[in-house]
Amino acid sequence: MLSGAIAGSVYALIAVGLVLIHNGTGVVNFGFGDQLMAGVYILVFAQQFLGLSLPPAILVAVIVSGLIGLAIQYLVMTPLRNRPVLIPIVATIAIGAALREGIRAFMGPNPWPVPFLLSTSPYRIAGISIVPSDLAILGTAIVVMLCLYAFFEFTKYGQAILAACANPTGALIVGIPAGATTTSIWVLSSMLAAIAGIVIAPLTSLTPDIGLIAIKGFAAAVLGGFASLPGAVVGGILLGIIEALSGYYVSSAMKDIVSYAVLVAVIILLPSGLFNRATARKV
Amino acid sequence: MVTRREILKVAGGAMVLVATKSAYAADATGVTDDKIKIGILGDLTGHAAHWGSGNLAGGTLAFEEINAAGGINGRKLEWISVDSESSAPKGIAGFKRLVDQEKVFAIFGPTSSAVGVPLLKTMASSGVPIFVPTFSSPLITNPPVKNIFRSGTLNDADQGRIIADYVASISKKRSIALMRQSDEYGKNGATNVGNRLKEIGNVKISEEQFNASDTDFTSQLLRIRESDADVMVVYGYPAPSAIVMRQAKQLGLPVQIVGSTATASRTYAATVGKEAAGTRSMTTTKYLPEGDDAEIVKFRKAFEARFPELARQTRPEATDQLAYHGAKTLIEGLKRAGRDLTREKLISSLEGLKDFETGIASATTFGPDRREGNRSGYVLEIKDDLSRIVLPKAYSAI
Repeated sequence: MLSGAIAGSVYALIAVGLVLIHNGTGVVNFGFGDQLMAGVYILVFAQQFLGLSLPPAILVAVIVSGLIGLAIQYLVMTPLRNRPVLIPIVATIAIGAALREGIRAFMGPNPWPVPFLLSTSPYRIAGISIVPSDLAILGTAIVVMLCLYAFFEFTKYGQAILAACANPTGALIVGIPAGATTTSIWVLSSMLAAIAGIVIAPLTSLTPDIGLIAIKGFAAAVLGGFASLPGAVVGGILLGIIEALSGYYVSSAMKDIVSYAVLVAVIILLPSGLFNRATARKV
Repeated sequence: MVTRREILKVAGGAMVLVATKSAYAADATGVTDDKIKIGILGDLTGHAAHWGSGNLAGGTLAFEEINAAGGINGRKLEWISVDSESSAPKGIAGFKRLVDQEKVFAIFGPTSSAVGVPLLKTMASSGVPIFVPTFSSPLITNPPVKNIFRSGTLNDADQGRIIADYVASISKKRSIALMRQSDEYGKNGATNVGNRLKEIGNVKISEEQFNASDTDFTSQLLRIRESDADVMVVYGYPAPSAIVMRQAKQLGLPVQIVGSTATASRTYAATVGKEAAGTRSMTTTKYLPEGDDAEIVKFRKAFEARFPELARQTRPEATDQLAYHGAKTLIEGLKRAGRDLTREKLISSLEGLKDFETGIASATTFGPDRREGNRSGYVLEIKDDLSRIVLPKAYSAI
């Protein structure tokens, strides 16, 4: 259960980033996994080639990732803002591929080791093996999500973003600038991508294809309704736990199949996801 | 006793050799008075770029060196590289471009089983000598195809056999766990290990599977802990294998861990972390790219000087090493084919290579019915300081 919750917490971070962009801009960001990957490579670059220690390297990675989000918004999404929504979605695929192959060319295709946030030596408490580095993943995810909650719940800026996500026209009428809001969403979401990458990459090792893990984030987001931030968090944790339990009780080779079967069942039975209310539309 | 299946297999191989023979006679496409044109085909982008970039770097270095030394029988090598993009359709298109448009004499590559196996029929019918230095599918050389040679690497069938021989020799409890990836790579590898263990006999085998994208292997490892295995073979790609090895140590599994050649890369121990200490991997050669053997040191210095951007990625790696070794072996074949060079003569000269050493990877032996240059392997051990040593004993699949 604990190992499932740890994997699930990373899925939750990814899902929150995806839902945030989708809610705020209508775009499904298929390049999110590659942004996650780029964030970790920035960390490795800062450590290996700029000689930074881990904490400042993490800071650099998160800030530069935010700047990448800013660049995506200004250089790609703003010029495409009046085009059919399919066009910016395809653009995110192209951005992802460009990031992936650009980094593969610059940093090479071979795996890079990424430092763990805490020790990997296990402690045994009451017969249970506790690994600090695993707890760091869970702990970081919880802290980040609490920070996000506080930001959206208790700051004007956060509430403005939520308002713009919920009702862009209404937000404009009350004076919330749409451009600044979508820019903030891209920056915040890109920083989340970097954080998700930094917590998971030590476990998996870093290659240009690490972004494939975002598929699980997509699944978690769909499970949670793709429009609900709490839903994304619960969807992520739930997916991780389902995976772990099906791996143990069904078959380790079948755990992805079981997880996705649950996902399909949720989509069929609850098309709006577990946490998203179906909305009636007047015609 | 020779089985009917074995007779059919040999006959099939002979038919492939005979049927394609007429395609090569006196064919000197790509050869001029002063040049021999070689095509380098490999995955430079996509998930398999690790092998393709090594193929290009190792090949380029060896070709540049021979040109600097005056060339081969009065001719310089000229080469053109095509990216197969880790995709079978792109690989087929790239191969056809090299053969039909670029009119190359021979091809160095492809570099991954995912591209090479779908290309097999096209390569066989082309008549172009193909020299494969990296990937490990046994289908490329068994049954033998007249114009396709492979050096250096250890094919999956041979590797399975060698791993089984090794783990059976170290398992005191005669109980071995196979922890394998759930795809074709893991399935074929573990099947080969399992079949050989059954041949050896008196060994209990327990098997667990994992998906290549998994990050948590606790449930499988707990089941292995409940078995009485004292050796665990991990047959999977480097990333999941690294997590398996780390988590096995964290859970305190009392097993000797042995990985496939996928875990024998130079940066693997750093990827796993301190838990890598004491783990072992199968490797194709006794020479490590970071080692101090004379030819390896020469190669490493030349590689680092020629490709500084790759050197900062902790290369040369095993793939660069195998490609350089392969290119030098191909060059030897071209030399022995003489000035009056044809595809038929190159194939004949390659067939004549016996225990050909480059000092970079395991010796190469081909023959009229043998296209697999290397059929032996070694065991590599990671020490407490995460440095690597190769254990002295060689294991043969023959």
